[in-house]
Amino acid sequence: MERRDFLKISAMAGATAALEGCGNPDHQLIRFVPEEDLIPGIATWKPSICTLCPAGCGLLVRVMAGEAEVVRNGQLGLLKMGLAKKLEGNPAHPVNQGKLCPRGQAGLQVTYHPDRVKGPLVRNGQRGSGRFREISWEDAIKQLVSELSLLQASNSEGGLAFLTAPMRGQRKTIIDTFTASFKRSASVEFAFFDDSVTRTANAASFGRGLPPTVDLAQSNYVISFGADFLGTWNSPVAQSLGFGHMRKGRPGQRGKFVQFEPRLSQSGASADEWIPVEPGAEGMLALSLAHVIIAEKLRLAAAAGHAGSLIEGWSLGLPDYAPEKIAEQVGVKPETIARIAREAAAHAPAVALIGDAATAHTNGLFNALAVNALNALLGSVGQRGGIRFGPTPSAKQPAPSFPSWASEVSSGAAAVSILLLYNANPVFAAPAEWGVRRALDKIPFIASFGSFIDETSALADLILPDHSPLESWLDDTPVSGSTKSVVSVAPPAMNPLHNTRATPDVLLDVAHQLGGDCSKALPWKTYDEAIRASFALLYKEKGSKTAKDAEEFWNKAQERGGWWSAEESDVAPGAGSSAGGVVKSAAPRFSGDSSHYPYHFLPFASQLFYDGSLSHLPWMQETPDPLSTVMWGSWVEINPRTAEKLAIQQGDLVEVASPQAKLRAPALVTPGICPDVIAMPVGQGHENFTRYATGRGSNPISILSAANVEGTGSFAWAATRVKVSAVGRGKLILFGGSLREASAELKHR
Amino acid sequence: MAHRWGMAIDLDRCTGCEACVVACHAENNISTVGEDQAALSRAKHWIRVERYYEGEFPNVRVKFMPVLCQQCDAAPCEAVCPTYASYHTSEGLNGQVYNRCIGTRYCANACPYVVRYFNFFNPVWDKPLQLQLNPDVSVREVGVMEKCTFCLQRIKAREVQAAAEKRELKDGEVQPACVQSCPTRAMVFGDLGDPESEVSRLASSARSTELLSELGTRPKVNYLSQDSWHGGENV
Repeated sequence: MERRDFLKISAMAGATAALEGCGNPDHQLIRFVPEEDLIPGIATWKPSICTLCPAGCGLLVRVMAGEAEVVRNGQLGLLKMGLAKKLEGNPAHPVNQGKLCPRGQAGLQVTYHPDRVKGPLVRNGQRGSGRFREISWEDAIKQLVSELSLLQASNSEGGLAFLTAPMRGQRKTIIDTFTASFKRSASVEFAFFDDSVTRTANAASFGRGLPPTVDLAQSNYVISFGADFLGTWNSPVAQSLGFGHMRKGRPGQRGKFVQFEPRLSQSGASADEWIPVEPGAEGMLALSLAHVIIAEKLRLAAAAGHAGSLIEGWSLGLPDYAPEKIAEQVGVKPETIARIAREAAAHAPAVALIGDAATAHTNGLFNALAVNALNALLGSVGQRGGIRFGPTPSAKQPAPSFPSWASEVSSGAAAVSILLLYNANPVFAAPAEWGVRRALDKIPFIASFGSFIDETSALADLILPDHSPLESWLDDTPVSGSTKSVVSVAPPAMNPLHNTRATPDVLLDVAHQLGGDCSKALPWKTYDEAIRASFALLYKEKGSKTAKDAEEFWNKAQERGGWWSAEESDVAPGAGSSAGGVVKSAAPRFSGDSSHYPYHFLPFASQLFYDGSLSHLPWMQETPDPLSTVMWGSWVEINPRTAEKLAIQQGDLVEVASPQAKLRAPALVTPGICPDVIAMPVGQGHENFTRYATGRGSNPISILSAANVEGTGSFAWAATRVKVSAVGRGKLILFGGSLREASAELKHR
Repeated sequence: MAHRWGMAIDLDRCTGCEACVVACHAENNISTVGEDQAALSRAKHWIRVERYYEGEFPNVRVKFMPVLCQQCDAAPCEAVCPTYASYHTSEGLNGQVYNRCIGTRYCANACPYVVRYFNFFNPVWDKPLQLQLNPDVSVREVGVMEKCTFCLQRIKAREVQAAAEKRELKDGEVQPACVQSCPTRAMVFGDLGDPESEVSRLASSARSTELLSELGTRPKVNYLSQDSWHGGENV
C-alpha cells in the first residue's frame, strides 16, 4: 500500500471511531481545564497522615496525573488532575519510619470507594428508611445553622452532643470548642477498642495517663499478656519495627518473646513461646511471676515503688500468688511460671505488655495494674528496652464515657436535642443493652459528617460529607509509638473528587454564621489556619533551632509531614495516684452461668478490618486473614477437642448463643485456642455499610452482654459466655494457594 | 554488568501481617475477584503469606512464610510455554509477556510454588476505583496468566534514573512494593551478583534456605529460617 493511501484510510477509520465515540456517553463528557504542574507519567510524593487507627502513622502519597469524572458546578465532566496512586510510610516520620500495615495501604480505597457520600443529603422518608435526597451545601448548612440557633435560643432541657471517634490535634480542638460554646453540651468519643483501661492504670501506677511507647528494639525479653501488639494494639507498625530489630537487628543478640493469652493472636503466632491462660487470669499470672522474682530475691519488692504498693500483699512478697497456689486457676503449670519469671529477671531489659481482651474483662483494671507492677519490678518503666511515655500531657478530664452517656439519653435522664456524628458507628459496635438505637430515636435532629452511610449515619436527618483524608488538611499528635515529640501535619494530597467539604471548615463556617460565643471561641476562618496557628505556638516553644522564622518552620513542617524533636523526649514516670486505694485480687465475672453457657466468648480485633470500620474496602475483604486465611466472611474459632465433643466439622455452620442473643457463622477448627474458649473476629456482619460489607458475615458484638471494666467506664467486651451447636453446612472461603509438594512437616491446615 | 536480582526473607522477623500482600495489590493493579470467584480459588495474590501450625494445643507454634514468584534460574514455567510468553530476562527474572500469552496455563501447572494466577475474566473496578490504578503497570485481560515481576517497573525506573545520572545503582535503592512496606524489615531486595549487597550477605547466612530446592529450580528468593531463643545469644 502506498503511504498516502494508508494515511487516507487511517484518517477515515479515525473519523468513524470519533463518530462511534459520540454514541458512548462516557466519550461525550466535556473536559475541564486541567490542573497545572502535572507532567504525565511523573510521580510526586506528598506527605499525609494515616487516620485509620489511633497510631497516627506518617504517609507518603504517590500522586500522578489521571483523568477523573467529576461534577463541577452541577456539570459532569472529565478533569485531568493529580490522583493518589499508592500509600507508603513516610521514612522521616518517627512513628512508622517508612513502613505501613495492610490497613494503612488500603486507605487509598477510602478515597475511591464507589459508595462514598458524594454530596450533602437530607432525609427523605422515615428515619432509618435509608432514603435520602441530594441538596446543595448552602441549603444543608442553612438547615444545620437554623437547628443550632433554635437550640441556642430555646430554654428547653435538650442540649447538643457531638459524638466522634477518638480524635486529636486541631480537628479535636475545633470540635470541642464548637461543642462547649453551647449550653448543656457534651463531646463524646466512641471506639470499640478504646485504651481507657490502659490510661487509667498507667495514671494510677506511673502518673502518666497514656498508652505506653514500647521500646522493643532495645528489649531482651518481652512478655505480652494478650496484647496483639504486632497486629492492631496501640502502635502496631512502630512495634513491628521494634520487634524485627529485637529479633534480628542486633548481631549476637536475640530477644525472647513470650505471649500469654487464651486464643492465639496474630502476635502470639510470632512468639517464641505461646502459653495459653484462662481468660481474665492475666493479672493473677503477672503477680505470680512477680512473686517468684521477689521470693527468689532476683529483685527487691521495693524496686516496684508506687506501682507495687498499689497491689495488696506486695510488700509481703505476694504469698497468695505462689505459682502452685494459683496454677489451676490460671491454667499455667507452676514450673512454667517460675521458669519465665527467672528468665525475665535474668535478661534485662525485660518488658511486659497488656492489652486487648486482657484489659476487657470485668477485672481488666486489676490485670493492667498487676502488669504495671510487674514492669516496675523488672525495672522497665521509663527505661530503655521498657515501656516509656511520650511527652503528651495526660488528659486533665476524661471524656464522658459513651456507655453512661447512651444509657442516660435512652432512659431520658439526659435530653439531647441535636446530635452531631463524626466517624463513630455505635449502632454497629455497641452491645444491644446499651440502648444506642433507643437513645438515637429520642434525639429530634441528627446530622452526620460521615463519608459513608453506615448503621449509625443511616439514622441521620442530614448528611454533610467530609473530604476523604487524602483530600483534607490533616494534623495529629501521636501519643505513643515514638519517644520523640511528634506533631504531624499534611496539606491535601489531592483535590476532592466529589462535592464534599472538610468537616472542620464546615464547623467554622457554621460557628461564624451563628455568631456570639461560638464564633468568638473559634477565631480561624479555616481549619488550615487553625493548624498554622498551632504551629506558630510550637515554633515559639521548640522550633528556633531548625528554622529562622515561624514561616519557614511552617513550610518545612508541611514538606516533611510534621515537626518532631531531634532528641528523644519521653517523660519519666511520675508519682502515680493512690486515689483508687490498694487493689485487691479481682476475679473476672462473666455473663451467663457456666452450666448453660460453657464457653468463654472472645471477640478479637481483625488484622484487616480492625473494629469493622474498614470492612468496606475490597482489598481488605479479599486479603486472606493471616491465621485463618478466610476471605470475604466471618468464622468462629474452635479447639479441635471441643469440636470433636460437639460433633462440629471445619466449615459447619454453628450457632453461638449468649444470654443476650445468638448468631451463626462457619466453624474454623484451630489448635491455637483453649478448649473452653470460642473466638470470633470483629468487623463483619454489617447491616448497612456499602456494597462490599453489607449483609456479609456476622457481628460478634451483637451477642455481647453489657458489662463495665470495674473502676472504669470502659466496656468489658470479653465478659460474655456462650453455648455452641452445629446447625448445618456453612460457607467458609479459605485462600486456595499452597505448596502442593510441601513436605510432611509443612502441613497446611 | 547485568544485575542478578534476588530477595531474602527473614522468617524470624516475619509476623505474617499481610502488609506485603496489600502493597502488591496496590502497586501491581491486581484486581479483586469477589466472594464467588474467591470461593473457586481464583483470587489473585502475587505474594501470599503461608501459615503452618506445628504441634497440638497447648504446645502450638506457628510459621509464617511469604511466598511469591521465586524467579528461578531453572524455571519450570519457562520451558513449557508454547508462545515464549514466559521467558528469562537478561537480568535473570522470569518474565511474562502478557500479549504473547494465549492462556494454555501450562506454566501454572508446571510451577511448584503455585504463584501464577490466571485471569478467568476481564478485571472490573467499580467506578471510581479504577482511579487507584498504577499507570506504570499494565492491566491484564481475560485469558492471560499473571505473576510477580519483582516490581519490574520500579527496577526499570531506578535503572533509568541511575543511567541518566551516570552512576551505578546503590544497594537497597530498588525496593519492590512488598519490601518497601514490610513493617519488621523481614524482606530485603538487591543484587545477588554483588557479593557486598545486603541480600547476598543474608543469602549466605547459615539460616538461609531455598524453597523446594530439591526440585532443582534454583530460586532467587532465600528464606532465612525461623530461629529460636538460645538464652539471649545468637548462634
